[in-house]
Amino acid sequence: MSAAMPPLAMETRALRRVYAAKPQPVVALDGVDLEVPPGEFFGLLGPNGAGKTTLIKILTTLLLPSSGTAQVFGFDVERETKQIRRIMNMVAGGEQSGYGILTVREQLWMFTQFYGLAGKEGWRRVDELIEAVGLEEQRVQRVSTLSTGQRQKMNLARGLLNDPWILFLDEPTLGLDVSAARSLRELIVDWKAAVPGRTILITTHYMAEADELCDRIAIVDHGRILAIGSPAELKKRVQRESIFRIELDRLDGGAHALARLPGVVSASEAADAAGDAARQVVVMNLVLEDDSALGQVVGALAASGSEILGLRKSEPTLEDVFVELVGRGFEESEAEGSPTEAVA
Amino acid sequence: MAAGSMNLVGRAGAGPREAAAWSRRQVLLTDLRSVRGRAYPRVRGLTREPSWLLFEILLPFLGTSAFVFVYRALEAPQEYVGFVVLGGALTAFWLNVIWMMANQLYWEKAQGNLELYFAAPMHFMSILFGMAVGGMAMSTTRAATVLVIAGTLYGVTFTVDQWLLLVGVFVLTLGALYGLGMVLASLFLVWGREAWHMGQLLTEPVYFVSGLNFPVARLGMLGALSVAFLPLATGLDAMRQLAFADAAFPAGTPPPLVEVAILVVMTVVSIVAARAMLIAMERRARRDGRLSVRWQ
Amino acid sequence: MSAVTPDARKASATAPTFDLARTRGNGLSDTIRTFIVSVRLGWQLEANWTDPFLFFIYSVAKPVSSALILVVMLEVIGGPAGRSFRPFVVVGSALWAFVISGVAGLAWAILEDRERYRVLKYVYVSPSDFLTVLVGRGVARIAVGLAGVVITLVVGVVALGVPFDVAVVDWPLLVASSLLGLGTIIALGLLMAGVCIQTRQESWSYPEAFAGALFLVTGAVFPLLVLPAPVQLVGLLTPLTWWIAGIREALFPGGPDSIGGSGSLFETLFGPGSPTGGEIVLALLATGAIATLAALAIFRLSDRRAKRAGLYDRTTGS
Repeated sequence: MSAAMPPLAMETRALRRVYAAKPQPVVALDGVDLEVPPGEFFGLLGPNGAGKTTLIKILTTLLLPSSGTAQVFGFDVERETKQIRRIMNMVAGGEQSGYGILTVREQLWMFTQFYGLAGKEGWRRVDELIEAVGLEEQRVQRVSTLSTGQRQKMNLARGLLNDPWILFLDEPTLGLDVSAARSLRELIVDWKAAVPGRTILITTHYMAEADELCDRIAIVDHGRILAIGSPAELKKRVQRESIFRIELDRLDGGAHALARLPGVVSASEAADAAGDAARQVVVMNLVLEDDSALGQVVGALAASGSEILGLRKSEPTLEDVFVELVGRGFEESEAEGSPTEAVA
Repeated sequence: MAAGSMNLVGRAGAGPREAAAWSRRQVLLTDLRSVRGRAYPRVRGLTREPSWLLFEILLPFLGTSAFVFVYRALEAPQEYVGFVVLGGALTAFWLNVIWMMANQLYWEKAQGNLELYFAAPMHFMSILFGMAVGGMAMSTTRAATVLVIAGTLYGVTFTVDQWLLLVGVFVLTLGALYGLGMVLASLFLVWGREAWHMGQLLTEPVYFVSGLNFPVARLGMLGALSVAFLPLATGLDAMRQLAFADAAFPAGTPPPLVEVAILVVMTVVSIVAARAMLIAMERRARRDGRLSVRWQ
Repeated sequence: MSAVTPDARKASATAPTFDLARTRGNGLSDTIRTFIVSVRLGWQLEANWTDPFLFFIYSVAKPVSSALILVVMLEVIGGPAGRSFRPFVVVGSALWAFVISGVAGLAWAILEDRERYRVLKYVYVSPSDFLTVLVGRGVARIAVGLAGVVITLVVGVVALGVPFDVAVVDWPLLVASSLLGLGTIIALGLLMAGVCIQTRQESWSYPEAFAGALFLVTGAVFPLLVLPAPVQLVGLLTPLTWWIAGIREALFPGGPDSIGGSGSLFETLFGPGSPTGGEIVLALLATGAIATLAALAIFRLSDRRAKRAGLYDRTTGS
């Protein structure tokens, strides 16, 4: 890396981590190469046991790699741990850490001391963050009395205390209900918007979360990165055409009539449309070369006297991407057993 | 949440590499503030749950009193009652070292706090020192209660000729005790659950070989070894000689100044060893992935 | 949402109905099963007999050291003349290690399940009787403590010159005192468990502190007559005093007595001499029953407060 170029926020080269386990060692990371520029919201998506947490623990200096290198803003995770710890923070999902006897305010203040803030500055920072995450009413409540969602907000506030240049989020919405998870994601997005240039690495096995939040995603399985790209780029890997589901009052000429139109790859009656027979609705699945062919289809239908009752575009999910890459779904992958199950 | 509500102060103008480059002053201040931070929950806990007044102060005082009455039953010279009282007072600090320092890292790991501590930038010894300082409030109260109340109740008379030396020995004893506590904490970090049982081993057997209720020189060679290697034995013996200057001590009791020298060496060695061991143990824990595995 | 399909209707017709009998349980057999399972769990967790290091700590090092402290104290003051008092202190300190094991066994089960294993709330809401679970969990430590008593007494006889003649042992008194004493110790353990439900993580030392305080008033290592009269009264009302006296009298009949003697409160109240074996057992039964009832009451009180305050699923720590 030349002196003129800013360092990458995260960089790994042939990163490998093997756990000694019985009956045989477990390879949690198997040659991971990763480059994440500063300011990116980067996601690691994969089933349980894929190696996401192992990777995050290496980058947060809690775990040594077995081989390969990893750097955070140019600092080596093995030799320059102090420097990394000064500019990063981490929040994990399902965290029960903390001292139950302290209030939220006191718990957070304690951590400001670990990051070197002066006493009064620490209290000011804590109050600022408590307000930012919406815990004003719980400010003087003991940590042991917080709900799961409130606790995770407190954990997020702790993660932001030192204004980190890079924030590691390890399944931060794990165990939260829909509303609490959404609230937490909004807070994360708000923070990133409020302090530009900060990098976030999030691990998750919730596809919608990765889809919503991340600039780029790495899909991980069995310790390897299978694909990296933006959500749109990843989905394009598995679906190059546009798929539509169209509901009509009638269709003269049947599916063949549509299939002959320019830009239409295939047209078929939808297999799950049986319930609509009573309503006299014809439901068709259309595969088009691209979205621009849709206009011709609509025009042709209008000319034949068909009324369009409904139109919906089908998009592949990130699980479709995973299936395409691995040949099985998330749940099947987890059911098979993870490389790191034996370690935990 | 309204946009822009995360109006937090950023480090304008400083990049991550500049932000990571701390001055020595910043490092020192962080470590000192970390001591304060880690002591805080201990001190706060004292006021929020006062059961310790009964179980850490009053009841142990009664336990010490039992040994006073053993000597009374034997019609022992009064200075032996004083020995028991002083031993009971110093026990408070030893127990603080075992349970509030040495074993504490195991509890922190079980709670999930340990990895947060390691991920933070302060030196880990600040955390241990903060634990020690926080626990000292309770230990000091207990020691003072035993000394004052038991001393008054049982008519113990202290004859001190060298107050400065006595205070110095006390401070050095604490330094050596807590230095040992730091060494044990780093060992226990790796030993995991076995460390908790080791803490049990360090109570009655150590009381015996340290001469908690009698001059340690009565144990002959075993006593000499204790004075050489156990800060509780060394400090207690020296403090007894200085606090009861008129009492007769058995042959083989080292002079207080020799014990002071031993305590100085113990303190320095234990703090240096603790630092080196913490670094080595952290590296090993990171290598084996033990920083966040519970029940191990 | 569509109407119930024919398949769903067919499925509900054959689904099992709720069996009220399941809520009634099986009484004593459930209790016995719970106890056995808890004992096995406690055994696996704590009394790892395959680990000689643990056995050494709890059954050898701790109890023997306690005895040695007192033996040396005797030697320092009494010299050879004090040796007649050795059986007194060796028995007392051996039994006291057992008291600590028993009291701590139940109390630590609460702390471990709440703080370390985080399963206390799941155990509590299971249909198993919580008291039975606690007692079962404590059995392992009680067994370890019992091994410590035997080992300390053997060390006392073999290495410390404690004279012991198996022919003169009062076996009925020994058995009666042991059984009643065990019940009392379990009750005290329950009392401490009730306390630990209310306190935080640092209360690991509370059982030992509690036992240490009782050490003062029970004549474990010195006769009660050394204490002021009001304190002697507390001792006479404490079941452990009678338990220790009973074991001592059973193993070393006619030896130094912890309760009676010239100038003792016992002499003032009941006349000169020492209590007989029968009197000891009766006193142990009466005081033990009162202590057990009090311990149960305190435990129930603590349980109610814990449910009101939601203490069963919290973790503490500082």
